[in-house]
Amino acid sequence: MGAKAGSSPPVVPPPASSATSFFPSINGLKLKTKQQELLIRVSILALVYVLAFAIRLFSVLRYESMIHEFDPYFNYRTTLFLTEKGFYEFWNWFDFESWYPLGRIIGGTLYPGLMVTAALIYWTLRFLRFAVHIREVCVLTAPFFASNTTIVAYFFGKEIWDSGAGLVAAALIAICPGYISRSVAGSYDNEGVAIFALLLTFYLFVKAVNTGSLAWALASAFGYFYMVSAWGGYVFIINLVPLYVLVLLVTGRYSMRLYIAYNCMYVLGMLLAMQIRFVGFQHVQSGEHMAAMGVFFLLQVFYFLDWVKFTLNDPKLFYSFLRIALTCAISVGSLALGVGMATGYISPWTGRFYSLLDPTYAKDHIPIIASVSEHQPTAWSSFMFDFHILLFLFPAGLYFCFKRLSDATIFIVMYGLTSMYFAGVMVRLILVAAPAVCLISSIAVSATLKNLTMLIRAKNNATPMGSSKGTASLKASAKLIFMHFQASSFDQPLPYQRNVAIALLLGAFYLLSRYAIHCTWVTSEAYSSPSIVLAARGAHGGRVIFDDYREAYFWLRKNTPADAKIMSWWDYGYQITAMGNRTVIVDNNTWNNTHIATVGRAMSSYEDEAYDIMKSLDVDYVLVVFGGVTGYSSDDINKFLWMVRIGGGVFSVIKEPEYLVNGEYRVDKGAAPKMLNCLMYKLCYYRFGEVTTEYGKPPGYDRARGVEIGNKDVKLEYLEEAFTTSNWIIRIYKVKPPKNRW
Amino acid sequence: MCPAMRTKSDNPTPGAAAAATAATASSDLDSFDPVLLLLRFLPYSFLRPPRTRLRLPSSVVLPSPMTVFSLLLLTYFAVVSGLVYDVIVEPPGIGSTQDPATGTVRPIVFLPGRVNGQYIIEGLSSGFMFLLGGFGLIFMDLAVDRHRARSTRLSFAMFGISAVVIAYLMTMLFIRIKIPGYLW
Repeated sequence: MGAKAGSSPPVVPPPASSATSFFPSINGLKLKTKQQELLIRVSILALVYVLAFAIRLFSVLRYESMIHEFDPYFNYRTTLFLTEKGFYEFWNWFDFESWYPLGRIIGGTLYPGLMVTAALIYWTLRFLRFAVHIREVCVLTAPFFASNTTIVAYFFGKEIWDSGAGLVAAALIAICPGYISRSVAGSYDNEGVAIFALLLTFYLFVKAVNTGSLAWALASAFGYFYMVSAWGGYVFIINLVPLYVLVLLVTGRYSMRLYIAYNCMYVLGMLLAMQIRFVGFQHVQSGEHMAAMGVFFLLQVFYFLDWVKFTLNDPKLFYSFLRIALTCAISVGSLALGVGMATGYISPWTGRFYSLLDPTYAKDHIPIIASVSEHQPTAWSSFMFDFHILLFLFPAGLYFCFKRLSDATIFIVMYGLTSMYFAGVMVRLILVAAPAVCLISSIAVSATLKNLTMLIRAKNNATPMGSSKGTASLKASAKLIFMHFQASSFDQPLPYQRNVAIALLLGAFYLLSRYAIHCTWVTSEAYSSPSIVLAARGAHGGRVIFDDYREAYFWLRKNTPADAKIMSWWDYGYQITAMGNRTVIVDNNTWNNTHIATVGRAMSSYEDEAYDIMKSLDVDYVLVVFGGVTGYSSDDINKFLWMVRIGGGVFSVIKEPEYLVNGEYRVDKGAAPKMLNCLMYKLCYYRFGEVTTEYGKPPGYDRARGVEIGNKDVKLEYLEEAFTTSNWIIRIYKVKPPKNRW
Repeated sequence: MCPAMRTKSDNPTPGAAAAATAATASSDLDSFDPVLLLLRFLPYSFLRPPRTRLRLPSSVVLPSPMTVFSLLLLTYFAVVSGLVYDVIVEPPGIGSTQDPATGTVRPIVFLPGRVNGQYIIEGLSSGFMFLLGGFGLIFMDLAVDRHRARSTRLSFAMFGISAVVIAYLMTMLFIRIKIPGYLW
């Protein structure tokens, strides 16, 4: 780190004069080289800041400023509550409007960082008399923090390599699609803020290890606190940092700076993390956090042995003491760990994180985790989509890091590799790998460009050295003589060196511009859809908008009694509560598997059995999503297999083979009889047999499955149709009250 | 363990003898430090370090950075060609379709339709292309080194440049085949 040959050379008049000739004097002021460099750096960073914000605004410009997807609606609802009722009400909030008979302790089961951040921004803007609505603040929080991440990436790059790499890192991460995917405007989700906190914590920790200063270590503890408050992925930090400390110990890089940095960060960070109710005492009780504690004790043992060695001054005595101390430490440590795990005080790894270490675990044991499409393992094309040329630059960057090993580069290598492995296990975690890949790639870009420009600027041996540096001429001439004394094949430039280097520089410029084009295209096409508003190309190429979701939720809000309870599949729970303002049975939090299984069982049973279940849950309305008319493929019939699996996982009444024909789910004439008469089928295809969806196809042709449905004459006994949206995407049914007994 | 590597160890000696040698050899340590005195005498007055045959074998040495680097590159290749996807989803090595007219079975190399899906062979070949691009850049850096022979530098440079160009073109070709609407 620091200045290398080629970056900001000390003020030497002749090269400086050739450089200043490019910059005309501003108001008669001739800028010195250092000032020019500062101007270039600041303007690049300002442009990158604006770029990171601007590229995330596609969906705001195309549709409108609204919250996307499912999870952000819950975050929006809680932020609204926070700004209206204040922090104490928010912290102690028990929500009776979700998970109907059970309710949910929201104050104790969420990560408050995102909501508090948005509320603070909102209150600041209000204080400055900008009358913004909280929804606008929520929509634009993620792009704002993405811009801040680029600044942190600049400082981090400067720390591990030099300021040139920092600038490249900031530029790469501003438009990296892997990061954009979860931080577009409107994606008001934890990750938007959490990646900023992650990178900030890592930067502060690496700075603390490099300088050994207590201030930086404490700052990293506070950065860790912000990360813990923002996202459940803080487990990554609390495992990567101890692993990094362990690697430094093994490679013989133990130092006082490391001791100070890790101790402060661990102790203070742990105490601060316990302030979040959702995390609670997990730092001392959960198996996922035990690595940090183990390394903490190991570091104390290291320090103790170091001090004893220093005071004893006798190698033989120290060696025997060493063996005793190590035996004691290892036995005490393993005894403590064994007792902790045996008594159950230290809980084992939870399923969500265990499935990262053993990817096959979720498929066999936890269907809910396996059903989420973001949790699938990653194929090469997803990597290519999200990283483009960074995939080439990553191995080259690793090589440069290994060429110049230091505490900081070891950290970035470890961060890069562990995060790439986890990104390979789960598509969603490409987001966590994006900053590391951008930083390592920036090292490759910076080092390669430095090499190329060095080749261009190198003085040719054949040309006379008349115009060489004015100062230090003795040194220059001595070097020149020394170079002439060199053997013939060494130290001679390659043929056409300057021209080839200029061509390669243009090639690098081409590659980076292709990267920018790719990122913009991917953002525009793939990552800017709000998911709640669907768009398609009409017959003449115009855009057709399907706003059915919001239509249905607004209908619910206006046309149902205030205490109505809605049963739907858990995907839509957050949206129904936030926009429809009604109580739901299950929602996206998925904390209670049995409750979800009850709903799954109801959806996959015959109508009379389902009616009993719905009556026991006090359900007033049932909401299903149906894509047969529009060809929308993420509807409830396609999700039906998960309802059967999850319901069957808890209630053995539901047997999956009863719905399958030759191992697949079908809805046409050859479907299983249980499938043709279950509640989900009836609710989706009620009156659908009369609808002609496509020219030339019979009525009742399901465009999403591409078949004509089997049971066109659906009769409902216990429910009646309440509302169907204009494109039949959402269908709402009212549960009839029980018949009068005679 | 690191401390053992730092101290030059010789054969373990019994505790009493060690204490005796310590007392005579380090008579210059006239320290007031009570802990030091405790350390020097207390453990060894009743503890005898066990005569274990276990010693850290001297052949255990940290691998060189370049060995670690090549292992890491191998891991990177495995991850980025979708090995975890192959293990879990178990796609076929290569897809096949039947030609409707002649009835022959034609292979399909790239899984069509989805961004997050692959066959095994397409994953491995794409991973290889990424690694080739990385190697190209590494060789270009090796070519700039002024202390090598000129012919070596020339061959490194040519290999490096061609590797990067080929890798980039092939990767663009692959992605255009896989996602028909790419960049349009």
